[in-house]
Amino acid sequence: MGLNRNISLSAGLGYKGGSAYLTYILHRIGGSALFIFFTVYILSLLGMESMQALMGNWIFQTVFLTFGLFHAINGLRITILDLSPKLMKHYRAAINIEWVAYILVAGFALLVVFRNAFGG
Amino acid sequence: MAARTLSLKKRGFTFEVFMWAFTRFTVIAMYGLIIAGILGALSLSQQTGMNVGDILYWAFFPNLAENPLGQVWMTILAKLMVIAFVLVACGHGVHGVLEIWDDYVTSESARRWARNIVITYAVVASIVAMYVILSA
Repeated sequence: MGLNRNISLSAGLGYKGGSAYLTYILHRIGGSALFIFFTVYILSLLGMESMQALMGNWIFQTVFLTFGLFHAINGLRITILDLSPKLMKHYRAAINIEWVAYILVAGFALLVVFRNAFGG
Repeated sequence: MAARTLSLKKRGFTFEVFMWAFTRFTVIAMYGLIIAGILGALSLSQQTGMNVGDILYWAFFPNLAENPLGQVWMTILAKLMVIAFVLVACGHGVHGVLEIWDDYVTSESARRWARNIVITYAVVASIVAMYVILSA
């Protein structure tokens, strides 16, 4: 782990690495979102009413499910490829399968959230 | 993309290898606990006639919801599973947050401070969660 960065932060964020890089960045955003969710969960357990209200808020639920589910599904792909290196040559196909699974699962989850929030 | 050419045995048991294994196995444990939790909740729902959502909500927020489970052993098992999930998720999350932090922050002292703060936070949060879940 180096202590010096060879490129600027903006150049790093602007790196065009295709779908693999997109999943890498979204995985990090999802992990950070889940860490925030964990904090809200702990504060809810402690009885903070504002945090309990936040957990019931549909916008919070939407953000949590959008990024959290991506983190879980992408993590499953990473784990499978990591533990079975022979499958690594199919990583693009794995990413495509992952997107399909994510759209189905997240779509259903968000449908439930929106139906509860807006009725119908 | 080339496959891994160095076996785990040849890599040696360094800190990086340990953390790689820790992250992978905690995530596998989480998937296992999620599947076991959903199957357990479905099974309890069938036995008790309670809503699956109510069982899961009580499991994660035992201080906010009424215990829907009649038998004591079910309550203990559900609480132990939720505690295991929270601890595993916390351990996995700490490593992930520190990895992200280390990638974007190059100052050695900032890295050291972040490490101390995040690990302390994780330990305190885990203890709080265990206490609330067990005592509710």
